[in-house]
Amino acid sequence: MSITRRILLKTSAAGGALAAFAAGFSDTARHLVGGARAADRPDDAISGNAPPPEFRVDPATGTVTPTPGQTVANVACLGCTTLCGVRVRVDTAANRVLRVAGNPYSPLSTDPFLPYATPIRESFASLTRLGERGLQGRSTACGRGNAALEMLTSPFRVTTPLKRVGPRGSGRWEPIAFDRLVEEIAEGGDLFGEGPVDGLRGLRDLKTPIDPAAPELGPQVNRVALLSSVNDGREPFVRRFFNQALGTINVVGHGAYCGGAYRSGSGAAFGDAKKMPHAKPDLRNAEFVLFIGTAPSNAGNPFKRQAMLLARGRTDGVLNYVVVDPVLTNADNRATADRANWVPIRPGTDGALVMGMMRWMFENGRIDTRYLSQPNGAAAEAAGEAGWCNATHLVIVQKGHPREGRMLRASDMGWVTLDEKERYGDRDAFVVLAADGAPVAHDAHGGAAALFHDGALETPDGALAVKTALTLLRDETMRLELSGYADVCGVPADVIAGLAREFTAHGKKAAANAHGGMMAGNGFYNAFGVVTLNTLIGNLNHKGGTIFGGGRFPDEQDGPRYKLASFPGQVKPSGIAISRPVPYERSGEFRAARAAGRPYPAKAPWYPNAPQLTTEYLTSGLVDGYPYGLKALFLWNSNPVYGIPGVRAAAEAALRDPATLPLIVAIDPFINESSALADYIVPDTVLYETWGWAAPWAGVPTKTTTARWPVVEARTERLPGGRHVQMETFLIALAMRLGLPGFGPDAIEDTEGNRHPLERPEDWYLRGGANVAWLGKQPVPDATDEDIALSGVARLLPALKATLKDGEWRKVAFVLARGGRYQDDGEGFAGDVATHRFKDPLLVYNEAVGTARSSITGRRWTGTATWMEPVFADGTPVRRVHTPEDWPFQVVSAKSVLVSAYTIAADRLRHLHPENPVGINADDARRLGIATGDRIRIATPGGSATATAIVRHGVMPGVLAVEHGFGHREYGARPHVIGGTRQPDVPEIGAGINLNDLGIADPTRAGASVWVDPIAGSAVRQGIPARLERLAVPA
Amino acid sequence: MDRSRRNFCLGAGAAAVGAAALAAPPADAAAARKGGDPANRWAMVVDVRKCVGCQACTVACIMENAVPANSFRTIVSTYEVTEGGRAGTAMLPRLCNHCEDAPCLPVCPTGATFQRRDGIVVVDNTVCVGCGYCVQACPYDARFINHETRTADKCTFCVHRVDAGLLPACVETCVGGARIFGDLNDPGSTVSRLVRTQAPKVLKPGQGTDPRVFYIGLDPNLEGKVEGTPTLWRPSARPHAHAPAAKEHA
Repeated sequence: MSITRRILLKTSAAGGALAAFAAGFSDTARHLVGGARAADRPDDAISGNAPPPEFRVDPATGTVTPTPGQTVANVACLGCTTLCGVRVRVDTAANRVLRVAGNPYSPLSTDPFLPYATPIRESFASLTRLGERGLQGRSTACGRGNAALEMLTSPFRVTTPLKRVGPRGSGRWEPIAFDRLVEEIAEGGDLFGEGPVDGLRGLRDLKTPIDPAAPELGPQVNRVALLSSVNDGREPFVRRFFNQALGTINVVGHGAYCGGAYRSGSGAAFGDAKKMPHAKPDLRNAEFVLFIGTAPSNAGNPFKRQAMLLARGRTDGVLNYVVVDPVLTNADNRATADRANWVPIRPGTDGALVMGMMRWMFENGRIDTRYLSQPNGAAAEAAGEAGWCNATHLVIVQKGHPREGRMLRASDMGWVTLDEKERYGDRDAFVVLAADGAPVAHDAHGGAAALFHDGALETPDGALAVKTALTLLRDETMRLELSGYADVCGVPADVIAGLAREFTAHGKKAAANAHGGMMAGNGFYNAFGVVTLNTLIGNLNHKGGTIFGGGRFPDEQDGPRYKLASFPGQVKPSGIAISRPVPYERSGEFRAARAAGRPYPAKAPWYPNAPQLTTEYLTSGLVDGYPYGLKALFLWNSNPVYGIPGVRAAAEAALRDPATLPLIVAIDPFINESSALADYIVPDTVLYETWGWAAPWAGVPTKTTTARWPVVEARTERLPGGRHVQMETFLIALAMRLGLPGFGPDAIEDTEGNRHPLERPEDWYLRGGANVAWLGKQPVPDATDEDIALSGVARLLPALKATLKDGEWRKVAFVLARGGRYQDDGEGFAGDVATHRFKDPLLVYNEAVGTARSSITGRRWTGTATWMEPVFADGTPVRRVHTPEDWPFQVVSAKSVLVSAYTIAADRLRHLHPENPVGINADDARRLGIATGDRIRIATPGGSATATAIVRHGVMPGVLAVEHGFGHREYGARPHVIGGTRQPDVPEIGAGINLNDLGIADPTRAGASVWVDPIAGSAVRQGIPARLERLAVPA
Repeated sequence: MDRSRRNFCLGAGAAAVGAAALAAPPADAAAARKGGDPANRWAMVVDVRKCVGCQACTVACIMENAVPANSFRTIVSTYEVTEGGRAGTAMLPRLCNHCEDAPCLPVCPTGATFQRRDGIVVVDNTVCVGCGYCVQACPYDARFINHETRTADKCTFCVHRVDAGLLPACVETCVGGARIFGDLNDPGSTVSRLVRTQAPKVLKPGQGTDPRVFYIGLDPNLEGKVEGTPTLWRPSARPHAHAPAAKEHA
């Protein structure tokens, strides 16, 4: 076989090789007298400047001898959202992190991972050449995880609180004393010589409604909002301040511009639109996995666990997998070409592919009827199933019936009489058809129920048209022929059928999975479809299928040692959040509009089947003040201006205008594209300076909690008493100045009723640690002195002893020394069934979705998975507005192997991969005369950018693939002036382009907007209409 | 000289080696070896099938060995390969091959480059004059002139860690478990077993260097002669202000 083209991807850095060599040569020619120049002479003649190894192991005796001056501490990485357990090697005298690798106790870094009881000394031995244990017990950090430590010492770190000089975004700052910072934010005043600004004291109005005519919006305090990023193990602390102490309802994470579409689609199948549960393939045992819009071993969460299990499964095990994506990634590996396959697809058409697969499965009898036909959990258990679903439950489909789209209930049949509150609630059973066709309550039926039914059913109110949930799904799949689905998605019909055949040829040891690639203008239904594939083969909770994950040992709950979830005087936030995650029909606006005879459209979309959404905060919320305006915005390690497609065009002017938004406070270690627009920046701790109790999102079958604790002293400004400026000390000081409940001398109650202070970060996290240590069947053992000494936990001893009780601190030290609490490896499954099961039914038909109406059109949504093309808010297909004739290309985002949105300042990653050339299909490139390295211009209806081209066969025709994480305007790309000192000039940080600057607005909406999925409200970055042109070569 | 092209064709001519093919070093070369324990012969097997191209090895090496900016002792070259119109990803982890008959040794005018008795090829930076002959002599592009010390630099198999009973940094942190390190003199070691049973290949066997870095599953596509013009991506961003031009060593 011949190779027609090879392209070096990812690693670049080859330019100028000869020049470097020549320079080195001519230079050294002058130094021929020998040896490295004295001034630069490395520490060692052979190993140069490599520091001494962290410990030695005697190959004969196995004795581990630590190196004086170094410790190896188990904490968490934050190079991406996986938050892997890592071991951090510290030069204690220099307060410097030398290197990072994996924590051998952590399932996120090691497989199999060490038994939890293993002494620390033995954990060290497990990583060495001794008996080749280090090859078996290898515990790793990824490329980014190895480099992230650079962020600790980055010259772009903010270490003192800053106050802006000049207008927002001027790039000029003055340091401000911590106490003064707290005073200004608490009390407000004429802070910038631009007029009065409300402080938090004035804004904390828990009584006065925002709008007396619309009391459902809640009190004035809701005009304060916090945008966070990922729960890095500290979000409960932040929520304690903003939700429970200050009292605003507006606290929101980054999901709406991360993987929200997948999570919402999964939430529809799992029956929870707010927490949006999601399962992951059990990669250790799966035989076939279909990845759609997610690229395991290229990126994703949990990155390393997926990558190591995938690599092993395809090499030593039985795993076959296919990745369906517009872009070829490192999920592929030609060395295992028979096990790994890539199927290119058009952006935003995954729903067509999976509906085609399901059609084939229905037509060929390839669904798991035993699983699907069990009407309740007990019946499923008796049938030997590991879970159940609502496939057999009847849905009212009578046109015009007041309960059209609702599940038929026992009370509809007259079998029970319930009062209004309980009717249609948990006690009102669903209805299924027994084998003889007789209707029966779903929870009263012992065996299989009818899978399919489409017809009338006699009820006390007469005949009612009903269908089973599975019938509704089957009807949806039949809307297009297989060839029709193939035409939509660009995957040939025989490939769709082949995928369906393979997916259904492994019993329950097959799985489908998706994630960030679902962020299209129809991502909700695409994702619902992918998850429904799993439902049809009944693989949830089953070995080799999809697993829900073991969950965590929660620190922030009430007990078993300390009450961290509740406190006297806590506020229960009320009202409607800015992003309107409730039915529009519950609003005063709707009632008024209905009274006026035109209930729809709402002024802007509402999202009853979504969680809170950052996507609406800065557009409809900030710019249009809908449903109410903001007076203070807190950004905690949050960067929506960089991360939300199209938001800069929509909202930057409003963010810069103090009249629109009087106060912006960023809590962040860096000046990012959003915090650059803040009035104040409060420096936060970075990585291994930080406390926290983190947990995996999914994919780990055993219970897992990862500890974060400061292994080095924070580089932020030191405060009296040894504290440092960071998120926690800032919020504590603010709370105490404002006299908020839940903080201060007696803020934390233990389970015996004694009261303890919350005045320092460790007051919270160590007591949370006590909860972690005491959860489970029995508390963890006490840490030994040797565990404490070897793990670096010794540096916490004063805090441990001062904060915790005599019986507690050694147990918490045991947890901290191991970098968390980890249920033992073998406990993930009992036989073929996952120990930690999702016990509720999966929903083939989601009643909440199927009865919700678009707040714009008033039309009902489909309650099952379906194929819907990408649309704007009013249902208009995007391609009807921005036609393929005008915009022949589609931009998609591709995850980076190395760079995440906030690690661009890590020099070593940039040296390895300095920019993100845009991938263009080879045929498209030939047509347009574009060659790799050419400069190109990409234009969308939302903006344009110039970029560098890389011509690839691994990109679907018509697609422009933009790797995420580049195109920064801040983080060092622009030097700021702080107190007269200018930051270094490193323009390389700004290399490449940011897809989100090309995001588009929704032209069917009246006010400010970014294009979002109409149900999930998630930002659209997959399939943005675009034009492409080659730029003339500069003279 | 188009060095980037050389990098690109690294895999050309890779051939399988069996245990029987593992030759002893030339007698004079063996006599010149010093340091290390002759009881060991350190080697690496790279199971390319398990490589995920994450560059953990690349960065771990930099952090462990304080490798200067924009230089690499090891790296994973990642290619898009196309055959019959079908595209795929190919990875090739690269490092010093610690050859049994290392061409970098005889060209060193000062004796700074030498081979330990356990097979690890190292450079004594107190002796090296930075003449660069060894950089040119290495067929694997595994060496470079360290722009801080102005002496020859390369992978040492993390000799300071190996001597301490530990594993090289790249092996410790290999996410896919592709890098396997051990003692060829120990028939029970994993590397010995893999070399015995998996018929691993080495890079450029025609050079007669007798490498001690072996590859399992080396993409046969990388063996063949490249047709057409291979396209090597180069960054357009100007080099870092404080660092010399970038170079993909190893």
